[in-house]
Amino acid sequence: MELVTAKTNSSRGALGEAEIIKNKSVLDKWINEVGKRLGEARNTIKSIQQKAEENFAAVGLPNKKTEDFKYTNIRSYLQEDYIAKHGKILVGVQDFEPLLTDDFVSVVLINGKYVPEYSRLKKLPEGVAIKSLFKALEEGDQIAIKQFNAGLATTANPLAMLNTALAGDGIFISIPENFSCPIPIHIANICTGEVKSLYNPRHLVYLHTNAELTLIESHHSVKQTGKTFTNSATEFYIENNASLENYILQDEDVLSQRNDVRHFTVNTGSRMNSVTISLDGGMVRNDPTVFINGENAEVHLNGLFVVKEDHHTDNHTMVEHRAPNCFSNELYKGVIADNATGVFNGKILVYRDAQKTNAYQSNKNILMGDKATINTKPQLEIYADDVRCTHGTTTGVLNEEALFYMRSRGLNEKLAKNILLQAFAKEVSNTIKNETFRNLIEQKIEQNIQ
Amino acid sequence: MLEIKDLKVSVEGKQILKGLNLTINKGEVHAIMGPNGSGKSTLASVIAGREDYTVDGGSITFNGKDMLELSADERAKEGMFLAFQYPVEIPGVSTINFLKTAITEIRQYRGLPPMEAKDFLKMLKEKQKLVEIETNLTGRSVNEGFSGGEKKRNEIFQMAMLEPSLAILDETDSGLDIDALRIVATGVNTLRSKENAFVIITHYQRLLEYIIPDFVHVLYNGKIVKSGTRELALELEGKGYDWIKKEFSELAV
Repeated sequence: MELVTAKTNSSRGALGEAEIIKNKSVLDKWINEVGKRLGEARNTIKSIQQKAEENFAAVGLPNKKTEDFKYTNIRSYLQEDYIAKHGKILVGVQDFEPLLTDDFVSVVLINGKYVPEYSRLKKLPEGVAIKSLFKALEEGDQIAIKQFNAGLATTANPLAMLNTALAGDGIFISIPENFSCPIPIHIANICTGEVKSLYNPRHLVYLHTNAELTLIESHHSVKQTGKTFTNSATEFYIENNASLENYILQDEDVLSQRNDVRHFTVNTGSRMNSVTISLDGGMVRNDPTVFINGENAEVHLNGLFVVKEDHHTDNHTMVEHRAPNCFSNELYKGVIADNATGVFNGKILVYRDAQKTNAYQSNKNILMGDKATINTKPQLEIYADDVRCTHGTTTGVLNEEALFYMRSRGLNEKLAKNILLQAFAKEVSNTIKNETFRNLIEQKIEQNIQ
Repeated sequence: MLEIKDLKVSVEGKQILKGLNLTINKGEVHAIMGPNGSGKSTLASVIAGREDYTVDGGSITFNGKDMLELSADERAKEGMFLAFQYPVEIPGVSTINFLKTAITEIRQYRGLPPMEAKDFLKMLKEKQKLVEIETNLTGRSVNEGFSGGEKKRNEIFQMAMLEPSLAILDETDSGLDIDALRIVATGVNTLRSKENAFVIITHYQRLLEYIIPDFVHVLYNGKIVKSGTRELALELEGKGYDWIKKEFSELAV
């Protein structure tokens, strides 16, 4: 166990005037392309967006010198020539119908924008709000107005700033007090288009006191012929004694590049379980931050990433224990094949007052092939003295002894490998409680690992 | 059934088997004994198809087929089985699913359709009873968290399920208490038939009190230096391996 006693300052030096002007001009180009932004719904939001513009201009897009992006140089994926405009929708519901199931309330987002006519809200229980974030702000929803950027404002992540500055729309979900949503809500994210595009969807999910929700998100490429960079940001607020199950499947085309920023605020006695399954996509970066703000909260943060060819998947996680008597557990497993690169950089930060914290973190990777790379960096930063925290990481190849054992019982090498990889993945997929989705994920993993 | 001729095997440049000959016919049980480091486990591994060894010469034929041309899984599909000295733990893969897959693969190789679920379950029950292995063990991940005895019993259970024509038991008796030893022996004796054969590799003759071999061979310094019947095992038990070492030490040079 590593015990850090001084907070490290990881920001790079301030940028020069010329660079700030350049950042501003890139941002202005994108602002013009976006058109209507969330600020148009509400003046208070406008000022938040203006502040984010300034903040972004001061730092610009992250590159390798940005500490938190050391292994994922965003500038090599996203450049000025990406167009931040939503084109005409070229897909119909028939193009992705199999992705929607009657077991869930289905919310369809095309390139991050809510499309009510493609969505299926018939089974949505009364009292649960699902609407476009723009509309929620425009209607004066007090939660949406009050919470917008409340969580993300605390982060120094340039891509979160970019999202806040450019956000035009996204989804707003609110679960009322003492209500357990009996049916999972599924957000089907369809990535499509012909032009090199930048999207900045912004979502807000709010669970009132003692509310419960299973939120499933899946990402798919449909009729995608142009490169996309989707820079999405979602804020979750889990009020006292509320419970969130959040499952994410990333299964996109190589043309799709995705940065997924999440900010969870977890309050007293509440519980969350977030499971991210990253199966494909040219570049994927998952960047969840959890603030544990109240006592007796329980946080589970799990991920499985399978990276192939020359693709890149980065999981950058932060769990901040800001209150005593809480539990967090993090498990990320990676299978990295071919020339692919995987990254795991997870940090647990325990505040001085967060006594009796139990925090665990584990990262396990399997490299399939000589050219596969994993960069893994688990970190603990602890200021309280009465805590139990562990972290560990292992990286290896498939167990040769186990392979021979299985082959000696009649399984050919490929089958034996597949079974071992599936077993490796299962430890993560097993944390998905919803059976329908877990079965789908396990099928997907099986196909993907072949 | 199995014919090994002048088998020479090395690992990392060191010769371990130095011209070994062995013939096994249907219905026979052979015991291979020998001091530590004589090459017993190497022999078992090479027959089963482990790839860490280099075959420098000789041949292994099984039912007329050249085994050295076949991979480990193909040899299993031809009817061979190796009970491991150190069975491997496979987290996340249940013994039942593992066996179902193995049986399907083996049957497919032989041009047979997958086994009916009810037949599989019936067989499972029968064989579990045979080796006195509890259902909660076979439902668990292969060997994960098993005691030494449970692992060995699981090997015999898998052997019973896969019904090989030739089973090689590599020091299955090591680390077993008397009850587990009896269970393993009962398993082998029940499965023993005119159609199959067993090779029992062991350091001690203890297991051979329960499984009566037709032939006993002494492996020393990479060769079979002595063959005989059950009495040879008893002689070894009485005299130890020193006299073998003395008598055949010139072979070491």
